[in-house]
Amino acid sequence: MNFKGTLPTLILEALRREPSHGYRIAQRIKERSRGVLDFKEGTLYPALHKLENEGLVESYEGVESGRTRRYYRITKSGHGVLTKDRAEWRKLSRAVTTILGEA
Amino acid sequence: MTALDTWLKQATRHLSKDSTAQVRTEIQEHYESAREAATQNGATADEADRLAVHDLGNAKKANRQYREVLLTSDEAKMLREGNWEARAVCSRPWLKWMLLAMPLAALFAAATLFFTGSPHAWPLFAGGTGIGLLFAAPFLPIYTPSRGRVFRVVKWVVLLSVFGLAFGKDSQTWLWLGYSFLWPAWIEWKRISIRRKLPVSDWPRHLYL
Repeated sequence: MNFKGTLPTLILEALRREPSHGYRIAQRIKERSRGVLDFKEGTLYPALHKLENEGLVESYEGVESGRTRRYYRITKSGHGVLTKDRAEWRKLSRAVTTILGEA
Repeated sequence: MTALDTWLKQATRHLSKDSTAQVRTEIQEHYESAREAATQNGATADEADRLAVHDLGNAKKANRQYREVLLTSDEAKMLREGNWEARAVCSRPWLKWMLLAMPLAALFAAATLFFTGSPHAWPLFAGGTGIGLLFAAPFLPIYTPSRGRVFRVVKWVVLLSVFGLAFGKDSQTWLWLGYSFLWPAWIEWKRISIRRKLPVSDWPRHLYL
């Protein structure tokens, strides 16, 4: 399913509870949407860099199973943007459901 | 060359050396994880390789997206050599003082001509102010993004006003000289892109101006 434009919000949501690395973020989004939101993983990193440039996430190096990885964690501004995005999405979703429900 | 190498080559096209290294590391990490997961799910080594690269998607599309958020080779070059004029001037003290004295001399001459009623007073005043602003920039306390924004707006307003003031009613005739603004405008455009891609903490001094 095409979910262009919502990937940054989904990434912020995936990082809301704990920091994570790119592969796990991709898997988390796919699993939580039960495979409906399937995206090409090469596009995940540009989105992560954009969020980092905007100060919504920050990255650091960590080690997992003896392998060095780049981890990402959500910042305070990232939490603020996520809350705002969630509210906007609920509003939009309610409006679309109302219209489609009428058909 | 493996399928991953081909993907990486396309995805990092025109990116700077540092950006390329960053993309290579993160995609390599991702690829290894995807490969391991596929192998654990029963895929053969070849299938796991193929699946891991397939899941990365279109390399050209990724390249377009990377170029929007990471420094390209042109931008990295501009960042490295962006203030070569300032460095060239600062390395020769006599040249630095001569250039700093120029706007002062122009303003002094403009004031003298103004009192004698000469029509050349205004163009000289405009030129002196414009050059003065450009030369004084490195000495001004501009070290926050908001101050930088204010400075850049003032700089462009002054530059355009200088043009209007210098040529007065003849501005229309000399409009072709406006082409000389294309180069600084292009530099400004590239710097906007660089500012968007670099965290403020990594900005060199000349990126504020």
